[in-house]
Amino acid sequence: MNLHLTHEQLCDLILADSSLRASDDSDVVEQHLQACLICSAELKSLRDSLSHFRDASVAYARQEFAQSYAQRSSIAPPQSYLSQPLYWAAAAVLFVAALFPITLHQQQHSAAISAVKATAATPQMESDEALLADIDQKVSADVPSPMEPLADPTDGTTSTTSTSDQRTN
Amino acid sequence: MPSHAISSDSFSVTPQAITHQASATPLDDMDAIVATYEQRIFRFHLISIRDRDVAQTLTQDTFVRAWSARSSFRGDCSVLTWLMRIALNLVRDHTRTDRFRFWKKVSETAIDVSDISAHVPHRDSSLESRLIASEQMALVWDSVAKLSDRQRSIFLLRFLEELELSEIANITGLPISTVKTHLYRALATIRTHHNASLKDSI
Repeated sequence: MNLHLTHEQLCDLILADSSLRASDDSDVVEQHLQACLICSAELKSLRDSLSHFRDASVAYARQEFAQSYAQRSSIAPPQSYLSQPLYWAAAAVLFVAALFPITLHQQQHSAAISAVKATAATPQMESDEALLADIDQKVSADVPSPMEPLADPTDGTTSTTSTSDQRTN
Repeated sequence: MPSHAISSDSFSVTPQAITHQASATPLDDMDAIVATYEQRIFRFHLISIRDRDVAQTLTQDTFVRAWSARSSFRGDCSVLTWLMRIALNLVRDHTRTDRFRFWKKVSETAIDVSDISAHVPHRDSSLESRLIASEQMALVWDSVAKLSDRQRSIFLLRFLEELELSEIANITGLPISTVKTHLYRALATIRTHHNASLKDSI
């Protein structure tokens, strides 16, 4: 004769499923539980353990779900990242890396501008010097150019006429 | 996770498209389905796999698969039962791989029992009862880890999701008697650990 509940009887009490058909010895089991402190204590302890497991799992899953939902709906980096020094170091390196090409570009740009200015200024100076030299030459001349004697306009035609006369003759 | 958002746009269906289909299913309104069942599916994955990132990924996969196979939903079971069947298959596929066994050892997002213990509700404030409750929870948590994959899934469907045995039989495709047998064995493992713990404490 078994003094305590069998494993199946104990499990049926824990499962307590409405789809399970009530066994014929359910009344006997109930009477035994009322009389046997060991079985009732074990049943209570098992029920409590399963209940704690479920409650804690549900609460933990709810918290994790809320966190993942918040992470999905936020575009900001998660709080845990902001508290990590490695995150800040990586951000600083990225910032410097982004700044370096900009600085380099600015230096190249200023050098190119000065070169262009230098090349543009050289022909201007040459033409200015040529103009000044021309003015000096004209000022230092003995006779001003408006008073210079005119060139003989017949110089060229005389020789041509004589030649033609010779041909006709 | 982070990068694991479920976009409602990917599930959007125009009313014209629905009317063109021969038979509309409850799964056509996937936004409402996700809003209703996402947390529950996530919970099942989280406690089954015990890894937050994997649970997020599998939760998304569950709804993507449900959306892809919505035409095969015949309505002979509830939407939750159908989603749980997909979720269970995904957990089974995932735990079979060697990659899972490797990442389970090294993953930083794996759940530790101390994470869960902090969430044991304390209905009375005595320190002793709080310690006992945390110990009982940890005992079940460790025992569940020692169960076989099938026993663990059936145990969680019953004692975490509180589904009826007939629903579990529908999800797993097993007879109710087989489901009961798996539950008996799972409870036997837990009971053994429980009694050993009691003897140690005495």
